[in-house]
Amino acid sequence: MKKHNLVSIALILFSCISFASFAQTAAAKKDLVVKLHYFNNNNQMQYLVADTKTKVDGKFQVVPGVTLRFFISGDTTAANYLGSCVTNAKGKALLLIPALAKQEWNKSAIQSFQVISPATKEYEDTKADVSITKAKIKIDTLADRKITAVVMELKDTVWTPVKGVDLKIAIRRLGGDLNVSETQTYTSDSLGMVNAEFKRDSLPGDAKGVLTLVAKAEDNDTYGNISAEIPAAWGVPTTYNSPYDRRTLFARRGHSPIWLELMAYSIIVAVWGVLIYLFIQVRKLKKIGLSA
Amino acid sequence: MENSTKQQIIEDLLPQKFGKQGKIWVVGLSLLCILGAVAYVRQLSKGLIVTSMRDYASWGIYISNFVFFVAISLVGSLITAVLRLTNVKWSTPLTRIAEIIAVSAITFASLIIIVDMGRPDRFYNLFIHGRLQSPIVWDVIVITTYFFISILLLYFPLLPDLQIMIGLKSKTSNFLHKLYVFLGSYWKNTPQQIHISEKAISIMAITIIPVAFAIHTVTSWLFATTYRPGWDSTNFGAYFISGAFLVGAGSVLIAMYVFRTHYNLQKYITNDHFDRMGKVVVMLALLYLYFNVNEFLVPAFKMKKPEEEHLRGLFTGEYAGIFWFAITTAMIIPIVILLFKKGRKPLPAFIAGILVVIGSWFKRYLIVTPTLLHPFLPMRDVPESYKHYFPSWEEWSIAIGSLAGALLVITIFARIFPIIPIQETITENEQHEKA
Repeated sequence: MKKHNLVSIALILFSCISFASFAQTAAAKKDLVVKLHYFNNNNQMQYLVADTKTKVDGKFQVVPGVTLRFFISGDTTAANYLGSCVTNAKGKALLLIPALAKQEWNKSAIQSFQVISPATKEYEDTKADVSITKAKIKIDTLADRKITAVVMELKDTVWTPVKGVDLKIAIRRLGGDLNVSETQTYTSDSLGMVNAEFKRDSLPGDAKGVLTLVAKAEDNDTYGNISAEIPAAWGVPTTYNSPYDRRTLFARRGHSPIWLELMAYSIIVAVWGVLIYLFIQVRKLKKIGLSA
Repeated sequence: MENSTKQQIIEDLLPQKFGKQGKIWVVGLSLLCILGAVAYVRQLSKGLIVTSMRDYASWGIYISNFVFFVAISLVGSLITAVLRLTNVKWSTPLTRIAEIIAVSAITFASLIIIVDMGRPDRFYNLFIHGRLQSPIVWDVIVITTYFFISILLLYFPLLPDLQIMIGLKSKTSNFLHKLYVFLGSYWKNTPQQIHISEKAISIMAITIIPVAFAIHTVTSWLFATTYRPGWDSTNFGAYFISGAFLVGAGSVLIAMYVFRTHYNLQKYITNDHFDRMGKVVVMLALLYLYFNVNEFLVPAFKMKKPEEEHLRGLFTGEYAGIFWFAITTAMIIPIVILLFKKGRKPLPAFIAGILVVIGSWFKRYLIVTPTLLHPFLPMRDVPESYKHYFPSWEEWSIAIGSLAGALLVITIFARIFPIIPIQETITENEQHEKA
């Protein structure tokens, strides 16, 4: 009887331990948060960007190296499969909508996309979707440094101006966009139009003073991220002088400042001149000794 | 001068064969060198991963050793050049000791820097890709220059002694005789030769001083031109030079005692020499202490936030033990010992010399590593081993092997050549008798 009891206790303990370890494995899997965004740049290129995050020690951290599968429309069938992409160091995955999705794309003015992250050792399977109405922006420049932009959405097969969309009118700069004036955003009127004034004087442009103006709607609930660009020669012509060939203390080999070269080489020549003189003296001593 | 006195000087100052102690000393040093070589082969085959140096402490005891060797090599210019040009006569028996210490130290300074590079072939890159703007390139140039001047400064005064040694064929081995003939058979002691030699030595004595200052100033600039806590100082050149003169003079005190005792040179390296050299060491220790006060008290008074962690680490933290040990042994205790006349007797002076050298080695370690482990930006997301540094056995073996190698070079030199200049001693003796 005692033997039976011991066996039962051992079995119970074993099953508890197994369950506990299974529970630990299951608990070790983290939740992956995925967000999907739609982009239409300059009415030419549509693409999707997925952001991945997870909570570590109570803080959200980006998740690189996660494979994501993208689909057009609500069905995740093979026919709607757009492609897969792995998240980069910033936890982002970018997928250009391929030409093979044209048929599905043309079916409706309202389009939805899905992204799926299959279950991995670390994360549970996750999905996210986004739905947009196809829209575009037209941007143009007027006299007296004025900018006009029109927002239009696709209704059936007709592009129709939209009222009440917030647009940013800005200048593309390195690493970000600079608003053309103090006004942060402009709201489109009944003609879908906004008007902005360019108030950034003395902004360096390219060699001909050309700047890139941009009108964009960011994270719009209906249209996603749409933008349009146009060049305008409203900047100061600027030629970039690379310091690469300049003689500086931080330059590459052979490009040290002249003053440094003069100082260093004159010291080297002077000291080694003395050394060579001394070696000559040794020869001289030898000569004298041999002839003595 | 009587011929017998001259003969006695030659007899006394001839290089002597190793006794039992000498043989044990040489075997011991050789074993340490072999251990260092084995560790280096291991480092070559496995890479720098065998060391404890990582991303932050990328300079460890190799660079501490390099700075120590460069520092100690400055003694050549102090004893041979500075004292010679200031017409100090008592230093004559010490000139060759100082010069061989300089040559040996600068040779091992060059070797240890190649060890620190990991792959020795990288040294070649310094020549094909080196930039004149980099203090590392200046260091290579100035070390090479100093090496050649030191060799010449050792060689020129040796020529008259070589002639004496060649004349004593019966007292030397065949190999040594051939070596003396090869090096100095052309020296005939003619007035013209003496004139040329003296002129050359004077030129070298003048040239070596700025080169010696440059070598250690440039070494200090390797640190000071880098913006880091503890190195960002305009005081570094003078601070390094004063420390270098101190450790060099300390090493001469040790060498004086060892040679005097083991080669029975009491008549030539007298109590007076220890007394005078002791005074020089006291002066240099006070000078170095002054620079240390400047180097630490001023930043500690301001306690700028980026420097605070580094300074607190030295004063009361992780490195406090080594820091106060270095300050006490390299400066305070030697000053206390050597300030008193009794302390400047041979044995206490020798002990003071040992303290100076040991303390100075640890001082070099403190200059290099704690700064690297206290970067301006906090160390985050790195393995624990990156945050601390304690040398691996390979590093210790190589560092100790290099120190043993430097001592071995000095020992072998003293076995082959007279460690006290014979001819100069005879000449000075003659002048003294005439006076």
